[in-house]
Amino acid sequence: MEFVDYLQAVTDGVMQGAYYALIGIGFTLIFGVMNKINLAYAAAAFGGAYASLGIAALIGSGDDFGLPPLLMFLASAVAAGLFAWIVYTICFRFTPDHYELATLMATVGAFFLIEEIAVHATDGEPMDFPEVLQGIIEDPMIEFSDAFAIRGDLLTIFLLALIAMAVLLLLLYRTKLGLATRAVAQQRTAAQLCGISVDRTNASTFIIAGVLGGLAGAMIGAAVGVLSPLLFVPLTVKGLIVTVIGGLGSIPGAIVAGLLVGGLENVFLALRGITERDMYVMLLLFLFLAFRPQGLFGKKVLRD
Amino acid sequence: MDDFTWGMVQIVGVHTILGLSAYVILLTGQVSMAQAGFVAIGAYVAGMLTVLAEWHIIPAMVTGGLAASVLACIVGFPALRIRGLMLVVATIAFGEFVRLFWFNFDYRIAKGDIVVGPEGGEGFKQIRFFPENGWTTQDVAVFVWVVAAIILATLWWMDRSRAGKVLRAVGEDEMAAQSVGINLTVVKVAAFTAGGFIAGIAGAIYAHYTTHIEHLNFDILMATFAIAYPILGGLANVWGTLFAAFFIQVIVIEVLRDLGDVRNLMFGALIILVMNFLPHGLFSAKVVRKLKEWMGIGKMSDA
Repeated sequence: MEFVDYLQAVTDGVMQGAYYALIGIGFTLIFGVMNKINLAYAAAAFGGAYASLGIAALIGSGDDFGLPPLLMFLASAVAAGLFAWIVYTICFRFTPDHYELATLMATVGAFFLIEEIAVHATDGEPMDFPEVLQGIIEDPMIEFSDAFAIRGDLLTIFLLALIAMAVLLLLLYRTKLGLATRAVAQQRTAAQLCGISVDRTNASTFIIAGVLGGLAGAMIGAAVGVLSPLLFVPLTVKGLIVTVIGGLGSIPGAIVAGLLVGGLENVFLALRGITERDMYVMLLLFLFLAFRPQGLFGKKVLRD
Repeated sequence: MDDFTWGMVQIVGVHTILGLSAYVILLTGQVSMAQAGFVAIGAYVAGMLTVLAEWHIIPAMVTGGLAASVLACIVGFPALRIRGLMLVVATIAFGEFVRLFWFNFDYRIAKGDIVVGPEGGEGFKQIRFFPENGWTTQDVAVFVWVVAAIILATLWWMDRSRAGKVLRAVGEDEMAAQSVGINLTVVKVAAFTAGGFIAGIAGAIYAHYTTHIEHLNFDILMATFAIAYPILGGLANVWGTLFAAFFIQVIVIEVLRDLGDVRNLMFGALIILVMNFLPHGLFSAKVVRKLKEWMGIGKMSDA
């Protein structure tokens, strides 16, 4: 491989890394506020993308696809927000606070429930998902040379993800809801004493994370071209890896790690092929766990 | 009983062993989502030994278990640096890593007029030790349960010995356990090693009764089954795991077969329901104590 091929692989990968970053942010947000992992998160995110396909199918008929692609993203985000709230209610709200095993197990149950509903609703067949610029520009490419080009659809997805991240940071650092969320993440009891409803904050955090996940789910659908239940496990694993590499609870960490994993993954793909790609991503995780377990931006404290 | 019923007996036996492999590790308060990976190692190693090297099933099974336990021991060490949720992520990734390893693993040799051995994504076919040696389904089922009974008895005995108390002490409160002189390193790594060995045994048996394994058998679903049995059954003693394996494999999956696809939805829903209403599992320490009182076994403590 020549240098320009690596450049192409990294560029494509970093742009695809945007949705890893969004999934990673979702895991990290929930971890930050509740100190628990929601293993059903990526499944709920895809649930949103599936729901947007369902809505489009209801509105449209025959060749007329019901929703323009950008509205698909919106529908997916809203639906995933709702699913995330449902996951919160059935897995977190009533399980014991101090016994995290029960919550963890319940989210695994929710993962399989959502996966099975998706399989059931689609007979396990992959579903076509519209491209992000479909109907606006056909097959967009920004060509720099014969060997290097930027895919327009990936660039659009990347920019959309950046906007979503910016809105999230504004929400967290410039609004009262964000202040409450950060307060609960920092010291739950103290936040409660200040009159913040921990339960409402938890629920709103799940919804925010769910909305980001729904966007990511639709982005993956648009970038890959299909939605399939086979994506649920790999995306959950990638999202968790991104979260750990970035540092549990760190949003900038999740963003950097998401883009990093996306870029490296594509290099591994180019060098070693699709069947071995993910093994190298996992080796990267093990390297971090061995030498820098707090991740890129995480706090030193590891004992929870 | 017909072959189908004996087949069920085999499945419940293997799943009980699978659940017990996670039980040991859960006692120390660690969640291992890597059990399916250890099962895969046991399955492939034992399968290669009986098919390629023509070993007997018993030494092959023990070697498969040992191979898995070596890997589990190596995984156990990082568990000292990372705890709780980080360990969940690490073990999920490790389990998937092992699965992908077998997905890429290709080692075949010609035996007579056929070529045998693991063939990457195609899987490992023709693990025919049982049929070649004339074992009937019934013989295999008895064999599975002899192994399961040995493991159940060993763990039941361990639970009542000092070792069991030490494991539970670490699971309840690491700091307190450490302050009474328990070596956390030894206990945690030992639990992982034992759990890996038991999972490897389960894998060796699984490979031989299905006669065909592929990487997709050892996915997150299997890892979830492994921790679901002890968590749903309760960690008070080994019988909870046995009961949960029986309940899920026989009642939920077989008896309700007529429900078709809806049955698959029930596994997830069942986990969520139990965790909401009985977070410590069906036979939690409290329930077991009450049961014993009711049966008149636990009266001694009242006197």
